[in-house]
Amino acid sequence: MIRVMIVDDHPIWRDAVGRDLSERGIEVVATAGDPVTAVPIARATHPDVVLMDLQFKTGSGVEATAEILAALPDTRVLMLSASGEAPDVLAAVKNGASGYLVKSASLDELLDGVRRTAEGDAVFSPGLAGLVIGEYRRLQDDPTPTTPQLTDRELDVLRLVARGLTARQVAARLVVSHRTVENHVRNTLRKLQLHNRVELARYAMEHGLDRNDSD
Amino acid sequence: MNPARQAGTNVMAPLWRGLVAYRMIALVFAAGALAARRDEIAHLPAGVALVCAMAGWTGVSAVAYGRGWGRTTRFAVLDLVGTIAAMVGSLAAEPWDATAGGATVLTSIWVAGPVLAIALLHGRDGGLVAAGLIGATMLVLRSSPGSDELHAIALLVTAGVVVGYAATVTRQSADRLRQAISAEAAAVERERLSRSIHDGVLQVLAAVQHRAADPGGHFGDLAAAAREQESALRRLMTAGPVVTDTSARDLVGTLRELTRGGVEVVIPAGPVLASPVVADELAGAVSEALANVQRHAGDEARVWVVLEDLGDEVEIVVRDDGRGISAGRLAAAESEGRLGVSRSIRGRLADLGGSAVCHSVPGEGTEWELRVPKGLSR
Repeated sequence: MIRVMIVDDHPIWRDAVGRDLSERGIEVVATAGDPVTAVPIARATHPDVVLMDLQFKTGSGVEATAEILAALPDTRVLMLSASGEAPDVLAAVKNGASGYLVKSASLDELLDGVRRTAEGDAVFSPGLAGLVIGEYRRLQDDPTPTTPQLTDRELDVLRLVARGLTARQVAARLVVSHRTVENHVRNTLRKLQLHNRVELARYAMEHGLDRNDSD
Repeated sequence: MNPARQAGTNVMAPLWRGLVAYRMIALVFAAGALAARRDEIAHLPAGVALVCAMAGWTGVSAVAYGRGWGRTTRFAVLDLVGTIAAMVGSLAAEPWDATAGGATVLTSIWVAGPVLAIALLHGRDGGLVAAGLIGATMLVLRSSPGSDELHAIALLVTAGVVVGYAATVTRQSADRLRQAISAEAAAVERERLSRSIHDGVLQVLAAVQHRAADPGGHFGDLAAAAREQESALRRLMTAGPVVTDTSARDLVGTLRELTRGGVEVVIPAGPVLASPVVADELAGAVSEALANVQRHAGDEARVWVVLEDLGDEVEIVVRDDGRGISAGRLAAAESEGRLGVSRSIRGRLADLGGSAVCHSVPGEGTEWELRVPKGLSR
């Protein structure tokens, strides 16, 4: 059974989603109302999937996502947002979130998203595909040796996802397997996340932050 | 009146005050010239009467321009006619045969007044026309124009053009400032709105959609209504600020304004700039494609509008997952001249050096790929 934690500061939403998920055989092991308390609760309950809201009254879910993933390498974070604020979504994904859905996604899409996140797949909305294509282009404007690049195939896949095709439809168009499409999509995120870690490490080294960071 | 509007009207006031001051100095100069040349003038009383009339008109126009109610085309043209009448009236003091020797017209530099007024109102071209009329009058009044007249005309034309150009630039800068102020105010207001909407309405709507879409319930319509409201609110929150830059426009804002509920707009995180012409044509093409979707794709069709920055070009894809058209029917419709929409979309793009391609498969929807150079000068 998939074990889920919901982090959201709106009780109405937490209750509605919690009920929907438990009625369909997904165990909600914890909830949290703000990103700061979410980290210790996640450490204590070890959920498989954290459903993380992007915007909180007290800040964003981006840092909490990074901290949870650092502490619990097997846990995956699926971001949810009421209003697709572009920069926040990108920041969350670069910090390790495995995907993003808008809150208006249907219950089926949400269930599917939770299941796929638990299996280690990336959950891509068309909007996220558009953001990722844009981010790779932005990175090429000022390239360094570590700047990630999309392969032609990956770009093809992302473009079709951005146009609203399902993974299955993308696979049919490109005459590849469904699995191959999932892998391409996941790789595009993985490269961005890796690049983000390299950049953070370099920043830390250049500014002498590594000496203070003992763990 | 808001402060921005006030900045726009007040910015010209110092120029009008300058014009009034110039007129008064020029009147003193004309009176001085009359006094200095009193022995050469054939009918001195007529000359004195002329300067008195000029003084009267200077007073009236000073009030009119200074207070603001005379800053109209009608009054400036009246000023121009009156000034030309004064020039012609100088013949009463100095008849034609007496001035053939080349003495300056008695009205002298005072005649530049209406030229400057029209230049302030109508820019460079207005100044040029008014200077031309005054200059022509000068030439008519002197049977053998000497270098003094030509010199004076050249100065008049220069003054008209320069002041007119300066007035235009001043007015444009004031407009830009006003646009910038109102754009900022709009952005602040939108920010305030979106915070409160996000914390309240959007959350509830999202929850309603979840509960209502439950297959066990009968709230499908409720879910659809909630979804539509939710996307309308989200558009309101994220619509770009009023565009003030005239050289480039952000296509992200253009697309957001165009799309209605039920259309998913897929965009990069940053702005995608294109020239206003390109933005307008793309907006036209996308709205035609969207209207076409509404007509042909069926009610349940979902629509995606995808914007991608390709460097020197942009690509916009409008895709629906509706019924679609078979390739044969598309070609047939086109050859019969029934495909007004696709011709119009292709035409818009072709005019800008771009292309529009339409793919459609029955059962898999229709896809328009619009690609066009951004048209930005660098």
